[in-house]
Formats: sequence, structure tokens, C-alpha cells
Amino acid sequence: MASPDRYSEYAPAAYTGTRGSFSVHFRQKANGAALYAAMCLGLLFFCVPLYYMFTTSFKAESEVFAMPVHWIPHSFLPQNYVDAFLAAPFPRYFWNSLLVAVIVVGSTVLFSALAGYGFAKFDFPGRRLAFLFILSTMMIPFQVLLIPLFVVVHQLGWTNSYAGLIIPGALSAFGVFLMRQACLTLPDELMDAARIDGAREVGIFIRIVLPLLKPAIATLAILTFLGSWNNFLWPLIVVTKDELFTLPVGMTVFQQPMQAPYWTYIMAVSTVATLPVVIVFLLLQRYFIEGVVVSGLKG
Amino acid sequence: MRTWIQREFLYRRRVYGVLFVAPAMLFFLVFSLYPTLNGFYLSLTEYTLLKPPVFVGFENYTKLAGNDQFQNGVKVTLWFLLGTTVPKWILSLALAMLFLAPFRGREFFKTLYFTPTLLSAVVVSLVWKLLLDPNGVISALAKPITRDPDTLWLSDRILTPISLIFVDDWAGIPFFMIIWIAGLVGIPRVFYEAALIDGTTRWQAFLHVTLPLLRPTILFVVVISTINSFQSFALQYVMTRGGPSDLTTTIALLVYNYGFNYFRMGQAAAMSVFMFFVIILITLIYIRSVRAEETSYT
Repeated sequence: MASPDRYSEYAPAAYTGTRGSFSVHFRQKANGAALYAAMCLGLLFFCVPLYYMFTTSFKAESEVFAMPVHWIPHSFLPQNYVDAFLAAPFPRYFWNSLLVAVIVVGSTVLFSALAGYGFAKFDFPGRRLAFLFILSTMMIPFQVLLIPLFVVVHQLGWTNSYAGLIIPGALSAFGVFLMRQACLTLPDELMDAARIDGAREVGIFIRIVLPLLKPAIATLAILTFLGSWNNFLWPLIVVTKDELFTLPVGMTVFQQPMQAPYWTYIMAVSTVATLPVVIVFLLLQRYFIEGVVVSGLKG
Repeated sequence: MRTWIQREFLYRRRVYGVLFVAPAMLFFLVFSLYPTLNGFYLSLTEYTLLKPPVFVGFENYTKLAGNDQFQNGVKVTLWFLLGTTVPKWILSLALAMLFLAPFRGREFFKTLYFTPTLLSAVVVSLVWKLLLDPNGVISALAKPITRDPDTLWLSDRILTPISLIFVDDWAGIPFFMIIWIAGLVGIPRVFYEAALIDGTTRWQAFLHVTLPLLRPTILFVVVISTINSFQSFALQYVMTRGGPSDLTTTIALLVYNYGFNYFRMGQAAAMSVFMFFVIILITLIYIRSVRAEETSYT
């Protein structure tokens, strides 16, 4: 038999929604203090490294390994950000990362939406097979493609170029899949009505389909941006020229294992590298988390 | 009988469907299918990028079997895999369960817990490299236990692999926590009501209601975390470069070293093919399990 105190939790409030039903019916004997203690401990665990990154970026280099640890910087040097960006061509790396990410996002969204729409709403011979083919490329892990993809880019003469950085990432099978799923929910009558009114197919795509796909596009755009902005392995191998480095590559090159690292500079650049992601996250949190959940793709 | 308008639409459906899909098809043929097939071919050749590939049959694979570095790489990868999957599943699920109970400030905590997911692998590696410096924060915090003024977290033979596993778990747990929460929230309330009426305890409800209904999420988490760990590269590259004495040189790092430091593309491709089959195997098991589950529940 259930104990009486558990029935006392069985309040009408439980019926207001399905969220968290486990805990509504089987609530921990609400030990508030213990819960908050655990929560705060977790908070320290997950957030202190970020806090330390941010605060170190303002410290004097001599302060970085001071003992006892300076949790609050004794010196405050915003100048570190300027110095760091002058110590290596970081503005250039930042620009490269941004340029690559923006083009990759634009191209992925456009071509994924086109293909997704084509697969969902048109009928042509070989459609199922073509879609299955694209789906199956999702199973090929990037590590496996690394060598042969580099060889393709090498053969095309795209190493050390923006083309090499951008084009192999300019579309994702996951994007096509996501857009097809979104297009399947659109009613056919909408497009047919426009056709009867004499609209052209491209016009229908631009003026009717794309606006209706907005939520899915937001999710895909965020995920693609995140993937491109944080991408490390591909730019590391495809460019060797300093002026084409993206931010992650530039940071690792700056922090050579053999040379004494300027930790304050590295943390300043790390903070700047994280900033665009934080901004996107704060502005579009709902799409962001949704994207993470639907994709499971990271790094 | 078809009207002209239906015929017109049908025609458009063929032509425009193909047109809309064509760019994507072309892209995947050139940048997925061709490289995949070419990867298999390259694994049967000797290739340094300078001269055209020379066909050598299965030589790369037989060499691989006797390659100490590769065997070491497999071992390192397996230990890393073990350390960055099972603890990650359990801890992220436990956190997700905590976040199901409503309490003041829940969204605040959840959002802040999520923040490590915003960092790129390179930034994670750099920040933790600083924290794990022999003179750094972790050494200072651990001093009462280690009694060692400067512990070599990233160059000791035993500690280094553990440090990397710890950092990977730190970065991955918040991500999987969100996935678990999404799965848990999707479990219909009626199942718990039924369990409550049957007088089950919390633990029984978790074992017999939550876990079975969470099966799609479990499969997803298991496969994604396994594949991610299997491919981990930035962490090892940035924090240790595979050291000390190859104790953190995973297969992914070996592929990179063979391909882009030694320029032995054939050998590197053979390792990639090995990885390919391991990952495909995991994915197929995943797909089969999902299928089996669909047939048994619906």
C-alpha cells in the first residue's frame, strides 16, 4: 500500500499538465535544503570553469598561478583583450570563422529546405531511393570521411582556400531530413491553391513554403552555426596558411605545447570565441535547446 | 479522367521535384558517396599526396594488425570510451530526474547547468588545461587530499587518461541531461497514476515504468555518446597531443597523425575503415533495437 504522505502529494495540481509526472506522483520527500545544497554544488561544478575563464582574462599574467587561488582578480586589465588580439592575427581568425559560419548556415538552410520540400511534396521516379541515400550518409561519421574528403579537396585544388573551408560543409543530411519532416506537415491545398492562382513553383517555395518553415529553419540555422563556429578538425587539416585559420585553429596554434602560454590572452580569446554562441543562446534559447534535443549532434 | 490542370501539376511535380532535389543530390554524391568509396580504395593503396596512389592490396591492413601504435590506440580508445559513456549516462540521468521535481529556481539552475554545452571542444580543452596545470586550481583544491604541491594531472601516466575522461564527462553531462529531460517529460502521466494505484514505491516505479518507457531515449543516448567518444579528437589534440608516451593517443588522433604528420594516407585510410565498421555496427544495432521496440509496443 502507498503510504499516506504520498497521497498527500497527490494534489489536483498534478493534473494541470503532463510535465514531470514522475515527480508529481512520486515526489522526493521534499527535503528542500538538501536539494538546494546539491543544486548549488552542481552549479559550482558546471559553472566555475567558465567563471574562471572569464576572470582570468582580466588578470595580470603573474597572477594566474598565484597561491592561494585568486577567485576574484586582484588586478583588472581589460587591456588583455586588446593585447591578445594584437599578439596574433586573432581579428582575422574571428572574421574567417564568422564568414565561414554565415555562408555555411545560409547554404545549408537554403539547399536543405529546397531538397526537403522536393522530397516531401513532389513525386518523381527514384524519390524514395534518393532520400534513403541522403539519410544513409548521416551514418558515415566525419572521422571516417576525414582522409578521403581531404583527398577530394586536394584534388580540386581547394586546400588553403575559403572554398575548402566552406563547401564540404555547405549542406547536411540532417538538414535535409529536418526540412523534409517540416514540409510533410504543410497541407497540399496551400500549394495547389497558389498553383491555380498561377504562381510559379519557385515563387511558391520562396513566398509560401519558406515562411511556414521558419521554426525548423531557426533550429537548423542555430545548429549549423554552432557546428561551424566550433568546428576544429576540418579547418585544422584543410588550411595551413595563417591568414585562413579559423578561431579554434588559431587558438591552438597560439597555444603551442612547447612555448610558455599566455594564459590571460588565451582566456580572453576563449571568452570572445564563446560570446557569439552565448548571444545566440540567450536570444533563441527555445530553438537552441530544441535543436540540441532533435539532433543529438555536437562538436 | 484527369483535367488539364491535374496533368499540368503532375508534370510540374516531376520536373520541379527533381530540380529542387538536384543540388543536394550532387553535393552528397561528391562529398559523401565518392569520398566513402574512395576511402575504401585508398586503404588498399600507398599514397603520400605527392604521387598518385599505388595499389598494394591488403598490405595496410596486415601492417595494422602488427602495428603497436594501432593496438595501443585501440586500447586507449576503449578505456576512454568506457570512462566517458557509463558515468555520463548515469550522472546525466540522475540530474535529469532531479530537474523533474518542481522547485523554485528550477529553470535558472537548468539553464546554468547547460552552459558547458555552449563551449567549443577547443575552449573546453584550453580552460581545463589551465585548471589542471600542476600549479593550477585543481591542484590547489586537491592539496588536502593529495598532499602534493603540484600534481601532474596532464603528464602523469595514470592521472592523465583519467583527467581527460573527467573533462569529457564534464562537458557532456549537461547535454545528455537535456536529452533525458526531453524523454522523461514525454512519458504519459497515466502510467504513473496506474503505478501509484498499484501501490508501487518510487524506486519500483522508476525501474518498471520509467526505464522501459524511456527506451528510445536510452538507445539514443547510448549510441550518440558512444559514437561521440569514439571520435573524440580536440580534447586529446589540445590537452596532451596524445602524451605522455601515447597514453592518450586514440585512434582518431592516430588517423590524424598518420594522414597529416607522416603523410601515409593509405595507412590512415585503413584505420578509418576500421572505425567505419565499428561505428556502422553500433548504428545498425541501434536501428535494429529501435525497430524491435516499435513492433513490440504498437
